Amino acid sequence: MTALRIVIDVLIGISAIFALAGTIGILKMPDTFSRMQASTCIPTLGTICALLGALLYAIFFKNGDAGSAVKIGVICLLILVTNPLGSHAIAKGAYKAGVRPEKKMEVDDLGRDLYD
Amino acid sequence: MQKTTFPAVVATFVVSFAFWVLLTWSFTVQELIVGAVVSLGVALFSARFFIHEKAFWLFNPAKLLNGLFYWVCIFPVELVKANVDMAKRCFGGCKKINPGIVKVPVDLKSDYGQAALANSITLTPGTITMDITEEEGQTYYYIHWIDVTAPSGKEAGDAIKGTLEKGLRRVWE
Repeated sequence: MTALRIVIDVLIGISAIFALAGTIGILKMPDTFSRMQASTCIPTLGTICALLGALLYAIFFKNGDAGSAVKIGVICLLILVTNPLGSHAIAKGAYKAGVRPEKKMEVDDLGRDLYD
Repeated sequence: MQKTTFPAVVATFVVSFAFWVLLTWSFTVQELIVGAVVSLGVALFSARFFIHEKAFWLFNPAKLLNGLFYWVCIFPVELVKANVDMAKRCFGGCKKINPGIVKVPVDLKSDYGQAALANSITLTPGTITMDITEEEGQTYYYIHWIDVTAPSGKEAGDAIKGTLEKGLRRVWE
């Protein structure tokens, strides 16, 4: 049981590290799209490792609480399905609205083909 | 707009009912009956938006196994690799980046396959799918890439999505 407890704590620690990385990225990256890239760290490994830890906890420390375990799985699934939809929409919308990085991008095929 | 067909309704009903059971997680007869009625209503109204192609592709065991293999083995490995790379860049002060938008050809034909590939690309940190076009029968994605190492075309495509696309092709084709 102690070993399992350590595994759970390590998972939640990993999630905290990746969430910190994403936050630093949001604050320090130079332009909008790079910030969005960095923030993708938070919902993927950041949230999913924490949910995995919670899942193990619900299964092994709550006497096999299947209801909670399944709901955690559903949360994980919904995050994985909905997060990229939001990212597509925000990135495309920002580009269409005229947001461009200060330093010119090395290749910019979207601008070349569609908008400029 | 598509017409509502019977197989599409059945497929949507199965998915909605599975989701209901997962959310409530109680197996009394009353709850299951209410869930079935609600799922049937949802399926009748939304089947034509939900199912665009063959309704029962997921009920084919070989494809289901390939799909499970993709979402349990292939995709998480790529996800962790990209996450570690991105975390290194962030902790290193966000200096080592070279962003750009590349145009990449995609060989998947099915709608679902293209959607799944675009979402997988967006979920891996470092790449975001921004737009999708079709030119002369070939589908292209516009992908924002944090560290451009190859110009547009097949080479960039292999670097971004080579493994993912190979895994998805076994599910949808």
